[in-house]
Formats: sequence, C-alpha cells, structure tokens
Amino acid sequence: MGRTSEGATIVAASLLAAFAVALVNFAQGAGVDAQTGLTFLVFLITFGTLYAAVRAFAPRATPLLIPPVVALVGLGFFEIYRLSPELAGLQRWWMLIAAAVASLVLFLLSKGTTSVLRRYRNVILIVTVGLLLLPNLPSGWGFPLKGLEVNGSRLWIVLDLGITQMQFQPAELAKLGMVIFFSAYLADHQKALREAHRRIGPIRLPEPRQLIPLILAWGGSIFILVWQRDLGASLLMFAGFVLLLYAATGSAGYLVAGGLMTLTGAAAAASMFDHVQRRMVAWLAPFEHYQDEGYQIAQGIFALGTGSLSGSGPGLGRPDLIPNAATDFIFAAVGEEIGFAGTVAVLAIYALVVAVGLGISFRSRDTFRKLLAAGLTFVMAVQVFLIIGGVLRIVPLTGITLPFMSYGGSALVGNLVLVALLLRISHEEST
Amino acid sequence: MNGPIRRVAIGVFLCLSLLLAGVTWYQVVRADELRADPRNPRPALAERGKERGLIVTTDGTVLARSVEDPTTRSFDREYPEGESFAHLVGYSSFLVGSTGLEDAYASVLRSRRDLTISDLVAALLGQDLRPQSIEVTVDAELQRAAAQALGANRGAIVALDPSTGAVLASVSNPSFDPELLLGDDAASQWELLLADDAEPTRDRATLELYAPGSTFKTVVATAALDTGTAGPGTTFDDPVEFDLPGSDATIANANGGVCNDGVSATMLQAFVRSCNTIFADLAIQLGAVDIGISAEAMGFNQDIGYEWPVPDAVWDTGSLIDDPAALGQSGIGERDVRATPLHMAMVAAAVANDGVAVRPYAVGRIFDADGNSVEETEPSELGRAMSLETATTLTQMMERVVTEGTGRQAAVPGVRVAGKTGTATGTSEFPNPWFIGFAPVDDPTIAIAVFIEGSATSGESASGGSSAAPIASQLIEVWLSP
Repeated sequence: MGRTSEGATIVAASLLAAFAVALVNFAQGAGVDAQTGLTFLVFLITFGTLYAAVRAFAPRATPLLIPPVVALVGLGFFEIYRLSPELAGLQRWWMLIAAAVASLVLFLLSKGTTSVLRRYRNVILIVTVGLLLLPNLPSGWGFPLKGLEVNGSRLWIVLDLGITQMQFQPAELAKLGMVIFFSAYLADHQKALREAHRRIGPIRLPEPRQLIPLILAWGGSIFILVWQRDLGASLLMFAGFVLLLYAATGSAGYLVAGGLMTLTGAAAAASMFDHVQRRMVAWLAPFEHYQDEGYQIAQGIFALGTGSLSGSGPGLGRPDLIPNAATDFIFAAVGEEIGFAGTVAVLAIYALVVAVGLGISFRSRDTFRKLLAAGLTFVMAVQVFLIIGGVLRIVPLTGITLPFMSYGGSALVGNLVLVALLLRISHEEST
Repeated sequence: MNGPIRRVAIGVFLCLSLLLAGVTWYQVVRADELRADPRNPRPALAERGKERGLIVTTDGTVLARSVEDPTTRSFDREYPEGESFAHLVGYSSFLVGSTGLEDAYASVLRSRRDLTISDLVAALLGQDLRPQSIEVTVDAELQRAAAQALGANRGAIVALDPSTGAVLASVSNPSFDPELLLGDDAASQWELLLADDAEPTRDRATLELYAPGSTFKTVVATAALDTGTAGPGTTFDDPVEFDLPGSDATIANANGGVCNDGVSATMLQAFVRSCNTIFADLAIQLGAVDIGISAEAMGFNQDIGYEWPVPDAVWDTGSLIDDPAALGQSGIGERDVRATPLHMAMVAAAVANDGVAVRPYAVGRIFDADGNSVEETEPSELGRAMSLETATTLTQMMERVVTEGTGRQAAVPGVRVAGKTGTATGTSEFPNPWFIGFAPVDDPTIAIAVFIEGSATSGESASGGSSAAPIASQLIEVWLSP
C-alpha cells in the first residue's frame, strides 16, 4: 500500500464515520444534517493534517497505521454522537487539537531524530512526574491551573481561564513519557542489565544497583497514582515497564516477579480502598449486585447480548442505560448498536494496529527505537485488553479509556502522539 | 531482542483472542438469554415511545391513541375511556407487559418504521409503514352503561350482535385505569392492583370460568327438544326434593318448595320457574352424551376463536356418563360445568339467531393511517347449535321466563325480551347471579349475558332474577333507545 491508497483509505474511513452519524440521525427521525457534513469535514481535516505531516516530516513511514486508527476513531465517534451530541461536538475539537499536537511532534522530531528523546530522557522523566503531580494541585486556589477530584480519583486538572474551562487527564500523556524514559534507560543499560546478574536458584536477577533508578522511577509513579487512586493507569504503566524490561533482557524472571507484584498490589489495593473493593465485587458477581455495584457491568453485558449478531442499528439501541457509556463502556455501547459484527471488526482493527506497531519494532535496528516502538504498542495493547476485558468480565474493571474510541480529549491527544511516535520511528528505520 | 518482543506479541494476540472469545460468549452463545433476562429493560423500551395505531369504536369514540410529545418526539399512549374499557382494550406497558386488544393486535398497531429487516424490505417495496388502526364493534354508550350498571358489584357483562357475533359490550368490574401502567412507576402500580382483594385486573368477561347455574338449563332444554326426549308440555314428577340416584344427596328448588302442584309439572313450567328438581331429572333422562352433543354444538369443550385465547367452556361428558348424581347436578349448571360470561352470551345469541352459533369477535375492521380499510372481519359461524324448530320453541320458553317467570325484572316496556336466569351456588360463599337473554324477540339485535360474582356487596340473598335481570333490562333499553 502506498501513500495514495493510504489517503484514499483515510477518506473512506472518514466517510464511514459520517455515514454512521447520518444513520444515528435517521434513527432519531432526522435526516442528513449539518452534523453529518461537519463530522466528515473534521475527520478529513484531522487526519488530512496528520497525513500531510507524515508526507512532510516522515515520508518513509508505514502507510498501514493511520487508516485503521481513523476507522477506530470513527467507530467510537458515531457512538459518542449517539450518546451525546454535545460530547461529540467537544470530541471534534479535541480531534483537531490532537492532530495539531501529533503533527507538531512529527515536525519537531524531523529537526533531529527520535534519539533526541533518548538524550533528554531525564528531562522527560521530570516532566512526566510533574504531569502526574498536577492533579494534586489544590482545587480551590486562585491560580488558573487546578486539580480536580472525580469519582474518588484525583486524575484531572482544570485550566480555568474564567471564560472557559479545559479539563485534562495528564496520565494519558505521562504514560508516553514513562515509556520513552523506560526505553531510553533500558537501551542505555541493556548490556549491563543482561550480563550482570545474580542467580537465585533457577532465576537470574540483575545486580541490584542496575535496577535502582528504574525501581525509583516506577515506585515514584506508582506512589503518585495510588495517591491519586487511579488504579488503571497505575497498572498500565507497571505492565508496560515489566514488558519492556523483559523485551530488553529476555529474562522471564521479570515477568514472573512483575506478575506477582501486580497480584500483591491488586490485593493490597483491594484491602485498602473501598472503590477497588467495589470493583472486585462488581467483577465477580455483577448480577448478584445488580442494583448497586454490579449495575454498570450488568448493563454492559445486557447491551452486548441484546446487540447480538447484527446489533440494534446505530441510534436504535439503548446504550444510554449504561453508566459512563461514552468513556469506559464505549465498547459495550458499540456492541449493542452494531453487534457482534461490529465488535469483531473493532478487535480485528486493534489487532492490525498492534501488528503494525510491533512490525515497526521488529524492523528497527536501533535498540532504543526498537524498545520504544515495542513499549508504545504494548502500553496501547494492554490498555485495550484491560478496558475491554473489564467490560467482558475477563479482568476487573479498572476505569481507563479505550484508545482512539472513548470520549476524552487527553486520551485522544496522547494516543495520536503515540501514533506519531510510531510513524516517526517507522520513517527513521526504513531506508 | 526480537525474541522476547515476539513472545510478548504472542501473549498480546492471545489476550486479543480472549477478548474475541468474550464477545462471542455474550453476543452469540448467551445473546438470547441476556435479551430475555427480566432485568434487561431493552426489549420493552424498544417499543416504548413508538407510535401505535388508534383503537376506535364504529361511531368514532377513541379508546386508545398515541400522542406525540413535541419536545422528546416520543409518543405517549392514552386511553381516554379509561376504566370502562380497560379489559377489552387492555394496555401495552413496557414494564408489565400487554393485554387485551393492545396485546392481540400488537403486530397491527405497532409502527413498522426502522425495526426489522423485513420492515426495511417492506419499505423498499413501497409499503406504508405507519401504524395501522383497529375499529372495534363495541357500542361506546352501551359499554359505559354496562360498567355503570355493575356499580360496586364484581362481575361481567357481555353483549353480542346475535346474527354476526360482533361484541357490543364487554365489561369486567371492578376495573382499573390502564394509564397507571404506562409510567415509570408501572411496576409498583401493578403490585398495588395485584394486592387488591377485588382483583381489578382480572378480565371476568372473557378469561374467567364460572358455574353457569340455571342459565345452563337452556342447553339441557335444547338437548331435550332436539332429541325429542321432551317438549314444553311433557310432564315430570314434582317432588319437593329430587333424590339423586346412587347417592344420599338431593336437589331442591330455589324456593324450597314444589315446582307446580306437587304432583306434576311440565318442562315449560320447570323452565319458566327454574325448577332444579325437574331439570336434574331431565338431565339424567337425557344422559351426559346427548347434553354433551348440544353443549359442544354451542362451543363447549372447544376453542371458540375469540380475539385472544379464552378458556374453553367445560362439559365433561366422560366423567358424567357413569355418575347420574353428578349428571343431575350438572344439569342445573352446577358441579363442574363452567363457562365464561362471553360464552353464555354466545349461547343466548345462538337461540336468538335461529339456532346458529356465531363466533364472537370485537374488531370489525383494520384500517391504515389514511383511513382506508386493510381488512374487514367476515362474521363466521361456529355451526348449527340446534334445529330451527328447537330455537323457535326455546325462544318462546325464554320469553315466558321474562313475562311470567324468574326473569320478570328483565322486562322492558314495549319490547319482547327472552331470557333465562341463573343463581350459581357451587363454588363461593355468596350466590353468583346470572341472566342471559336477547331482544327484541321477533328480530333480535342484542344477546346479553350478565354475571355477578357473589361478594359481600351483592349479598347472600342475591339471585339472577333480582340482581342480574334488572341490569339486562336496563341495558336492552339503552341499546334499543334511538
């Protein structure tokens, strides 16, 4: 597939989004209106900008990544529109902002290469930790940047400019910073980590001093996240870290240790926090606690079951019955309205995105870029698994967004920057 | 380094396969079960707020309509006639299900826009997808009068056009406001209705079986006349109590005395005065089989094919063949004989219609959103219930009931009314008064069954002649008044 067919596929995916919006309108008795055209236009501008930036700043990048991402954003967008036209209007603005930020990232990286990121890894770490700390700013002070607590978790910041407010979840960008830092650090210390190790029985462990900075970085971010009670992001970053460590060293002991630490952490969180406990109850017995803890998961499952093979049709189901349908439960909402056909398609597109991301990693010769591409893809894949698995009761619900599909500005910006980074690596590694 | 990444990649794809298994489980394997789960409000909600067709009477009285809310653009169902029509019209509630015509004609009344693939095909073929409406044969004025006539009594009234079977009135009392069951609090309203001892949600007119009492003597008389076993002038012994053969039990008359002079009485006298002694005797002489033939010719033990499934009226020939005592009791409409008020109205209609039983129906016409008929109901016969001669004789006997017998209070000045009273005692603490009849005798336009379920309201001394017959008189007068 070349650049031209990539462009054509982007236009086709944008048409798909606009068509789905039109179907929602028809279902509610209206016809093709400004919303349909506006959606098509915003999709064209958003991904046209990204496409143009790729042509200008990363021309040798794979053409296989943007089209499936457009399809995912489109499938998520029509469902957001169906649930709340107001949210969809905001989401359109966020799409434009995200495309601008991602294009800016491509432009800046074209001035050097991604190795700039490696060089400034410590700066990135400090910025990342700073980002993670932002939601703990006081909510009531006079400064325009305030922290915000939502549903018992402190993961939002508000930029209050008096006339308008912008809310942002810094963890969505922080996850990228963490992956960049981990990749750079592991690339720098890869040899030492791999060769200097101690044997404890059959398990090989690196020299403790090699791990101190990593454990500090990890412990610090986990501490902040537990402090902010954002279980999902905490789990996501730890999983990304462990998988990268394994990728860099090939020591399966890290996976075992990481798995044990995750279980311990989860058990500790469940005993320490009420809201984690409620999620365990909802996970294990949603129908027994239908009226309270289990309501959301039960509604999600009813939505999927009622959707059945072909779904109710866009706009014709009742996904609005699911609490937080536009964010955490967008997958169930989509499953209700476009059915098993739609959910299988969504999973297949995610599989394609993951395959392209890992393909970029496989073909990279540079260790840092290889680890970065793998790490970014892993973090995204783990996020997809955690939230869809949460909806499907495979794992407890952790309350994170579904990449590209959920409503949410910070998530969209973070994930399009993730795509931009993958594209840039792809460009740098193809000759 | 590609080695470990590849292994993680395998893990990632295994996880994605797990998600695929998850959606297959919920959307394919368990889909039907989840859709039907009573806690899943979606299937019922899908119907809520959609436009439904009108239910109107022939004279244009609106019984059910959908009104659009201009802000939400969803439709609210209204039942302007309320309680009087609640059991006939029924309701369509997203929380407690649907009943009556709303349920029976759900597929006609529903909007066919945007629901199924077949609707889409229909739309492409240029078919009209707007909801269709139904026109019921009920006379709104008669229906209201019937509901009012029952007053505080529990009971039911069914009136039919004897020549077509068209339902002119079908009332069950006490009733309820069906609009209570349409809102978000429908479930709790439903619980309140269920907790009411008077059981207002039961349709006593078509869905409940009762012992027909002496009104069943019309069926026994039919069998006697059709088989030639007895005629109006045939005489019977006239004891104070009739000894049921093969048992110690006896049957007495309602007044506790003899029927005529204590020596003998004719079948006509026994019918007009509703003498139990003689009809028990006659039933045993006829035998379970011959009565059964007449009963089944009038639709007993079979599906009469009403608008919705109704219980079959019961005459159990098999168990009565070798049990003359039970046969004697069954001959006066007690023991295990059962019929709905709808069915007994049909029996009266068969006599009125020269002996031909007709299938009762309530919907005369289905029409589209432009008012054009889509389907008109063709009246259909159940079959000949008795010979023309028998019908003529029985009519004369029934007229005598009203002019000089137990049904005198059913009389209407200037109108020839025929009828038969009944006071069933079998099952409840209080007697259950009945009256079935028709008018005018020379060209019947209405056949009616009035049933009162015995309760403290109707009292211990209520009888068909004193409680049900006056109501029939009143309603026949309403029906025949210009």
